[in-house]
Amino acid sequence: MSLVKRVTILFFFTLITIFFGCKKTNPVEKNTVVIAIPADIERINPLYSFSFDEANINELLFLSLVKHSWDEKKGDLSTEPMLAVSWEWAKDSSSIIINIRNDVKWSDGAPLTIDDVIFSFDVYSDPEVQSYLYGTFKAFYTDKDNHIDIKKTFEKISDSKLKINFLPASSPSMYNLDFPIAPKHIYGKIKRKDLINAAENFHPVTSGAFMLEKWERNQSIILKESVSSFLHNTDGVARLAFKIIPEYASRLAQLKNNEIDLVEDIKPEDVKDLKISEKLQIVPVKGREYDYIGWNNIDPEKYSKEKRLVPNKLFGSSKVRRALSMAINRDEILKEYFAGGEYGSLANSPVSPIFKNAINPAITPYKYDLEQAKKLLAEDGWSDTNKDGIIEKKGEKFKFTLSVPTNKPRRLFAATLLKNSLKQIGIDFSIEQLEPGDFIEKLSKKSLNAWIAGWAVPLPLDLKISWYSDLNKTPMNFCSYQNKNVDLLLDEIEKRISNDQKNNLYKKLEEILYADQPVTFLFWIDNVVVYNKRIQNIDVNPLGVVHHCWKWSVK
Amino acid sequence: MIKKIFQIKYIIIVLSVCLIISRFGLLCQTAVLARQYISLIMSDFITATVQTDFQLIDCFFSALLLVILPIIVIIGGKRIKLLKAVSWQATALVVFVFAFIFAPVITNENPDFQKNLSVTRLLSPLSSVKVLHLKEKKEDNNPLNDFLKTKSRVVKSSFDESILFCNSITVKKNNLEVRQNETNIEVMLNDVEIKNGEPVLTTKLFFLGTDEYGRDVFTRLIYGVRISLTIGFCSVIISLLIGVVFGFITGIKGGFTDIIISRITEMFLSFPLIFFVILILALFGNSIFTVIFVLGFSGWMSLLKIVKGETVALRNKDYFITAQQLGLSKKQLLIKEALPVMLAPIIVNTVFQLGNVILAESALSFLGLGVGAEYPSWGGMLQSGQENISRAWQLLAFPGMMIVTTLLTANKFGRELSKYYNPGFGE
Amino acid sequence: MNHDLIKILIKRFISSVLILFFLISFLFILLRIAPGDPTQRYISPGLSPQLAEKVKVSFNLDRSVQEQYLSFVKNFFSGDLGVSYSFHTSVTNVLFEFLPFTISFSLIAFFFQFSLGLLLAVFAYKNRSKKYLDGFISGTNMFLYAVPSFVSGVFLIYLFSVKLELLPSSGIKNITSVTSDFGELLFDYLTHLILPVICLALAGTPVYFKYFRDNIEQNYNKLYVRYLRSNGVTENVILYKHVIPNAISPIISYAGVDLGMLFSSVLITEVIFSLPGMGRLAVGAILDRDFPLVVGCALSAGTLMIITNFIADIIKFKIDKRLINGVLN
Repeated sequence: MSLVKRVTILFFFTLITIFFGCKKTNPVEKNTVVIAIPADIERINPLYSFSFDEANINELLFLSLVKHSWDEKKGDLSTEPMLAVSWEWAKDSSSIIINIRNDVKWSDGAPLTIDDVIFSFDVYSDPEVQSYLYGTFKAFYTDKDNHIDIKKTFEKISDSKLKINFLPASSPSMYNLDFPIAPKHIYGKIKRKDLINAAENFHPVTSGAFMLEKWERNQSIILKESVSSFLHNTDGVARLAFKIIPEYASRLAQLKNNEIDLVEDIKPEDVKDLKISEKLQIVPVKGREYDYIGWNNIDPEKYSKEKRLVPNKLFGSSKVRRALSMAINRDEILKEYFAGGEYGSLANSPVSPIFKNAINPAITPYKYDLEQAKKLLAEDGWSDTNKDGIIEKKGEKFKFTLSVPTNKPRRLFAATLLKNSLKQIGIDFSIEQLEPGDFIEKLSKKSLNAWIAGWAVPLPLDLKISWYSDLNKTPMNFCSYQNKNVDLLLDEIEKRISNDQKNNLYKKLEEILYADQPVTFLFWIDNVVVYNKRIQNIDVNPLGVVHHCWKWSVK
Repeated sequence: MIKKIFQIKYIIIVLSVCLIISRFGLLCQTAVLARQYISLIMSDFITATVQTDFQLIDCFFSALLLVILPIIVIIGGKRIKLLKAVSWQATALVVFVFAFIFAPVITNENPDFQKNLSVTRLLSPLSSVKVLHLKEKKEDNNPLNDFLKTKSRVVKSSFDESILFCNSITVKKNNLEVRQNETNIEVMLNDVEIKNGEPVLTTKLFFLGTDEYGRDVFTRLIYGVRISLTIGFCSVIISLLIGVVFGFITGIKGGFTDIIISRITEMFLSFPLIFFVILILALFGNSIFTVIFVLGFSGWMSLLKIVKGETVALRNKDYFITAQQLGLSKKQLLIKEALPVMLAPIIVNTVFQLGNVILAESALSFLGLGVGAEYPSWGGMLQSGQENISRAWQLLAFPGMMIVTTLLTANKFGRELSKYYNPGFGE
Repeated sequence: MNHDLIKILIKRFISSVLILFFLISFLFILLRIAPGDPTQRYISPGLSPQLAEKVKVSFNLDRSVQEQYLSFVKNFFSGDLGVSYSFHTSVTNVLFEFLPFTISFSLIAFFFQFSLGLLLAVFAYKNRSKKYLDGFISGTNMFLYAVPSFVSGVFLIYLFSVKLELLPSSGIKNITSVTSDFGELLFDYLTHLILPVICLALAGTPVYFKYFRDNIEQNYNKLYVRYLRSNGVTENVILYKHVIPNAISPIISYAGVDLGMLFSSVLITEVIFSLPGMGRLAVGAILDRDFPLVVGCALSAGTLMIITNFIADIIKFKIDKRLINGVLN
């Protein structure tokens, strides 16, 4: 009798506990805002903000000299003071003098000084450190390893005045100064090489309006307000909790029953369902990220074996690529996947429509037109001579593999529809789903033939990184696009010229890219942010949602 | 008397006759296609080989088999001994086998067919849409074009340029306004097929609804039988081969080989295999082959143990020793002497394994490591259903039902078989 | 205890440890030869190929596989599993952070699966004369077994969290609560664990049910039951004192393996309910190509497996002995 009886009793006991455990879920406490993020961050160290969420959190914890915000009217960034109170450019832009606040303290009480600023430039550009900004300090005096030359660059005028000298021919801007300042009195003690794995990355000493309260791996990161900060807002949010929820469905469910306050990247198809709820506010952030179908312009085999750039047998000609662009019904995908096109728009070039002045209005999207596509392909010599349903040229069939990363269902969706479209013009391909790590590696080695991927446009706009012909200088030119004219334009843009001139150059560039179709641009994707209406003063802009969250308050 | 009527062979006959009657038109067209195909082979062999693909052969084969199946069953029906008693599981098995073999006859649609997403996306079961027929292009009459025309009717492709799905149409002066949910498109009246002065408008019924790509769930389920069962059977066969061969070797040799193989078996048993499966798939990519291989490779341990145990027991039996002394090779010993004896436990184990593999594939789909978007597997369908849980219940319910039925059937047969071989068990 | 038995147990234990070591070595080499570069994520866009190579050096991935393996073995025996690429701290630290939850969660889930399976089996057997009831329970069980846990998990969330708003759907506690009251904390943990435990129980109970049901039936057909019955022992005594203990003992070894598996096979449940367990850790490590952590996860999973098997062996022995005594008396 004993065993079964014991088991029964124990079982019912637990059952009863569970039963009483059932109660209404408790919503978030007042004055605390809970933000859902899909994956845990790796560390809290501004030097290594490789992921998006990490950069966001580091930005809150570590202040930078200046801060940029998005000017909706201008369609461009505007600079605002942060650690630097004011600044003054030399007439020829060869140097800048900045005045730094002297009332800022690190969370351990040490004052934030000019030494921290100089140290930050030093450590960010140090090849030993391998920070996420390494190699980007092009306007500065550097040694051959891209390490900033401290002596030549910085002149300490007084305790709050710093002069920074720039490289003569470069075109420096305030963007070069916008990155989180690191604490010298902490990081200075650690060997540069060990910074990446330092224990201090889990108990950071910070300078921002918030500081780290608690971090439970794979669970949550909780920040609390830093009362002594000059940014501190007495009516503001007292605590900011980042809750890690990997499953999209769970994020959605918790948003609906008030367990969390803010979720980014909501799928447009769920918006309709969320709109019903009166307590939720839906704000799309206009697209800064686009999806594209990449066609490898060069032959991947020849490149990997002989490092030679030979046009790809299938996608080497711009005519073929244009035909492919015409063969995909982007309108249909946009309409179906982005809730009637409300949360996305067709892309024609890598310049996002948020840059209102740089966008070329003369370019209109390629129409979905299979007849025209067939004609273009025929002009290039592709036709179905043996009537097996697949076109061929000199005995070579138009068949390839399209690689799609597994983590973005949207891309698989586009690939599946594309497959059907292309079949109608006699092109056959198989879809290969690659695990993201594998996908990115193959992409950088340029060993994929065709793929669907996305690209987030950096702010400020930088096209050189992905469209310059020299493949050693542009590791992000995944499709190995080669065009001398584009190179000239990109070089021109880097020079010291006015914004209007720049915008004109961008417009020209867009035209070339549009005609060449090095890749098929699909659409700009809005980041649909949904938050609980109890959060006030929230400013959702292309720079990120938590950008100015010390200004938020809770109703 | 009633028992006599409800025999499995009658079910087979009834099902195939029903299928023949309901798909009579298609069968006739297949026959026409076959005739054209043969004449094409005679006249232009190279073109014929270019036109030969899996779908075509599949279509011919299933149509032919469907016609001769009832005859075979009637003639040879007396010999079918196993599965005499009819249960719903037995019926399910027959239905599965039918779906597996006759998929192209049962649905006559391509599982990847999709068009006009705005009209067909995520339709609930039993909903229907209107179909507007466009004029087909005139091609000159030669044998090849005739063949291609019939082929396109019998072997459906994943697209169709001659139709448009819509909700309704309005006839205007010389064009048509076609409503597709929120959008209207215009079509020239000249491009539309016209009968009795009216544009031809038919309805298409989506029996089990559609998925997020506007593909017919019913068709995908039927083809899913092929994919899921193929994955199941192939990986079980891999397990079976590894288990039986190595189990027999360890059993008969003993000694050092035994120790090594037993340790390796223990190694596999002492490790959470889902971990291994995910590792391999994540590192080497998830095609249908890797999925089959990995699932097969992670399920052989119990079989090995069974075979080894049986072999050890067998080694001391007189007839086996005699056979050995007669000079039979290892291979002959395994096939002629050992296998027949241990067939029963092996089959029982295999049948149970089959269900587990199908379940495992669906779990992999959830992690994005299933057979992928290329094939309509039940697991993959379930996964998309999970994503659309509040919008499309049909994507969860029907594939789920298929998996449950398969498992129940496999389980039932496992039990029946073990009862058959060990009559003392479970009475 | 019997000396022979202890010998056998120790022998098995040692061989399992050896096996585990081989397994880890196999895994180590497999990871090195597989495609996918773990350093890819740490290379900033401006990095030249030469400097990208430097990043590789910092991960110790520039040397040949043999060299890497040798240093791994050396470190392994001094208890050092290396530094996790994504957690930036030693693998042992990471594992100790995640193990407590996994072990307790698995034990709770295991307890539910086991006891629920046993209770249902006894109930079903007692009511075997009522064909429809027995059939209904068996059918439901089979049905639940066939429903993948990612479907049942999402369904549970949809039902209890979204529609009924009864239970929290993710995490192990309310992250914003500041209470330090033990009762409240425990309560918080329990409410968060209800759905995951139900989800796991739905998947695991049917297996135990089936095993118990079959074993009980099998035992009833054995001669000793007939013997007991003819001696006038009541049906209840036969069932509870003889049949059930007899039916449990073969299941113990299965349960040992199953519990060992559970530590890592709960991963789908962990993903759905965002629980900080080993399964999620392991899958994340695999996808991030965090080689040291993958090895660490495999090691801990294997170790847990060995331990549970060991315990199962001991329990089995104890039950058997009692049975022998019981039959002799």
